[in-house]
Amino acid sequence: MNGIIDIKDLCFRYSQENEKLDLSHIDLHVNEGEWLAIIGHNGSGKSTLAKAIDGLIEPEAGEVFIDGEKLTDKSLWNIRKKIGMVFQNPDNQFVGADVEGDVAFGLENQGIEREEMHARVKKALEVVDMQNFAKHEPVRLSGGQKQRVAIAGVLALRPKIVIFDESTSMLDPEGRLQIISLIRQMNQIEGFTVISITHDIDEASLADRVIVIDDGQIIDDSLPEKLFQKGEQLIDIGLDVPYPQRLKLELKKRGIQIPAEYMDEESMVNWLCRSILKN
Amino acid sequence: MSIHIEKLNYVYQSGTPFSHRALTDVSLDIADGSYTAIIGHTGSGKSTLLQHLNGLLKPTAGTLTVAGNKITPETKNKELNELRRHVGFIFQFPEAQLFEETVLKDIAFAPKNFGKSDEEAEDLAAKMAELVGLPASVLQNSPFELSGGQMRRVAIAGVLAMEPQILVLDEPTAGLDPKGRLEMMEMFERLHQQQNLTIILVTHQMNDVANYADHVLVMEEGRLIADSTPQEVFSDPKWLKGHHLGLPQTTAFAAKLADKGVPFKNLPLTEEQLAAQLAELLAGKGDEQHG
Amino acid sequence: MDKMLLGRYINGDSLIHRMDPRGKLFLSFYFIVIVFLCNNWETYVLMTAMVMLFVKLSDISLGFFIKGVRPLIWLILFTVLLQIFFSSGGHVYWHWGPFTVTDSGMTNGVFVFCRFVLIIFMSTLLTLTTTPIEISDGLELLLKPLTKIKVPVYEIALMLSIALRFVPTLMDETTKIMNAQRARGVNFGEGNLIKQIKSVIPLLIPLFVSSFNRAEDLATAMEARGYHGGEGRTKYRKQEWKRNDTIAVILFVVLTIALVVLRK
Repeated sequence: MNGIIDIKDLCFRYSQENEKLDLSHIDLHVNEGEWLAIIGHNGSGKSTLAKAIDGLIEPEAGEVFIDGEKLTDKSLWNIRKKIGMVFQNPDNQFVGADVEGDVAFGLENQGIEREEMHARVKKALEVVDMQNFAKHEPVRLSGGQKQRVAIAGVLALRPKIVIFDESTSMLDPEGRLQIISLIRQMNQIEGFTVISITHDIDEASLADRVIVIDDGQIIDDSLPEKLFQKGEQLIDIGLDVPYPQRLKLELKKRGIQIPAEYMDEESMVNWLCRSILKN
Repeated sequence: MSIHIEKLNYVYQSGTPFSHRALTDVSLDIADGSYTAIIGHTGSGKSTLLQHLNGLLKPTAGTLTVAGNKITPETKNKELNELRRHVGFIFQFPEAQLFEETVLKDIAFAPKNFGKSDEEAEDLAAKMAELVGLPASVLQNSPFELSGGQMRRVAIAGVLAMEPQILVLDEPTAGLDPKGRLEMMEMFERLHQQQNLTIILVTHQMNDVANYADHVLVMEEGRLIADSTPQEVFSDPKWLKGHHLGLPQTTAFAAKLADKGVPFKNLPLTEEQLAAQLAELLAGKGDEQHG
Repeated sequence: MDKMLLGRYINGDSLIHRMDPRGKLFLSFYFIVIVFLCNNWETYVLMTAMVMLFVKLSDISLGFFIKGVRPLIWLILFTVLLQIFFSSGGHVYWHWGPFTVTDSGMTNGVFVFCRFVLIIFMSTLLTLTTTPIEISDGLELLLKPLTKIKVPVYEIALMLSIALRFVPTLMDETTKIMNAQRARGVNFGEGNLIKQIKSVIPLLIPLFVSSFNRAEDLATAMEARGYHGGEGRTKYRKQEWKRNDTIAVILFVVLTIALVVLRK
């Protein structure tokens, strides 16, 4: 079966002098409309993988297929039209002089007519709720607002896949929650295939599927609820686990018996209430 | 080394058409050896307040006394330097301040500026590198060859090398992964315990406030709106919500249980506290059933 | 650096704000040229009246314009004094060695002062009412004919607009790094020259490193958004030449004629 993204035996290293591969024999299949989270500690290679998907780095071996088309020098620009990326640092991806100018940047690159551009920019800004800031300069925006502008820039281009490369990691809690809910909206309402690279466990737990990268290799690929059962193992490789899992570990230490299956916050609250308040 | 602030006011670009008031009548005390967390939104005046502690800004009105140095609007810039000896300031993304050829030289930079000889400064630097967990093998490397997490440690060692009595931390874990974050916070806790450092932490992470601080200051629109303990501040989720501030995960979770009728003696702040209370409640229930 | 006023845009919706940036740019340069036509009281009064009219139309308080003069005040006074002490001709009021104060010297001093102030007011007017991006767009369009002789006008304009966009970001960054190094005991702008030069190194190196990192990030982001050179690109912003712009040009033509008639 063809997925929207198919990666076969992908290898990459930043410098020929490196003995170790920075991405090592990656095989990955992503279905259309799926939300895939990629987690891993800093330097594990997760952002490198994202760049390989968009052809921003050149692999040493292996193949990348996007929407059935093989990524080559020739197909590069066509493939990039199908992929939108939102990066980590809100300041360093703001190209335009003001909000609407930045949203329009990608459209200008594709040579879209002006009338069409204005309509698309307006609509995209409405989706991210930034329509009242169209003329604002980046200095006058918060980090979260700048990320929303970056998302609008992607929306306006109407790609099939959107990759969020640690887009929430430099934001304050309020900005972070806004962006997470926007990611969710883009996947579930707008129907984009979403890849979110993150170490934010709240973000990862919303995904359909999570892969774990360590040392340039995919070491786990499962449903979030399956993955989070492996609480201690995740902590060992430098990752976090959802709060109910942490509490579970803490209770186990105190000799409390708790069902082994994964519980989200609501089911954990319910289980505790039932156990404490029963009879 | 305590801090005493009285009616501190600060206006940016005073006397220009762009003038903007950042602090209004802030008065507070920070005790010697305490661990104070400052919380509030971006633009609430937190950073402006911090910069006063280090003499980077001078009050427009009011006074502050840091480690016996009194700063008033009239204080000369030269005297501010004296203040900086006592206060180590770790900025957000402190790795941005690295510039020397080697890690060791970069860490030794501040002590040299404050009058230590090259030899003393480098001895101190080696000691500090060890304290923050940098392997001795990297000391002669360029700081720009290190990983992000290690660069941050170099920068922190560079501030600790001034041997300050007060350490100001502005979101020291921003951008780190979960493991890095925990290691960093544990390291500051160790410094606080072992060297009796007074710590002032600015953060959005309510979990860190709950886990480490013993004193909380809440800022909003340039004013100090709460000056209390974590227990006190987090016991009022409604008030926090009204000011758009979050709860520590544990407290938020416990509040949900409390809403459903679980009887807590007081709202717990940390996982350990919650687990202990739950264990008691669950065990108590067990006893009744057996009895 | 916060006190730097020249080059700061002030939001507004006045007649002047709404003018086409190309028109504003061109007329501002043109104004500087025709100021040099002034050589008597009548012409200076006329020009001053015009500038005052523009200031009024811009809805920006006079204070902002006066602040624009301040950084150059020593240069202006120096030039004025040169005029007063070294001009000859007319009635001599005072004489000592090479210094002579004459009535025509005094008049010239006043004229030079007016000329400076008029030019500063006019360029301040341009920058206060036109966003940097409008200026850069305006320049691009004005220079477009140069593409015929293979000048990469488009790339230059994009570079200019990105540079302008990053000025505030880098100013923030500079302040942050200065603060961090101050906290490590650096005293910027103190001590002898060698000390001062030395104190700049801990500022410049981090600033370079961070600018390179930003540039790399930005290049990646631009590439990911499909940027591959100016060819085939369309433009989002359009500059519209309106009736008011034509009126302004006519006004300047009339002004020029008046100056030629009035001058000696």
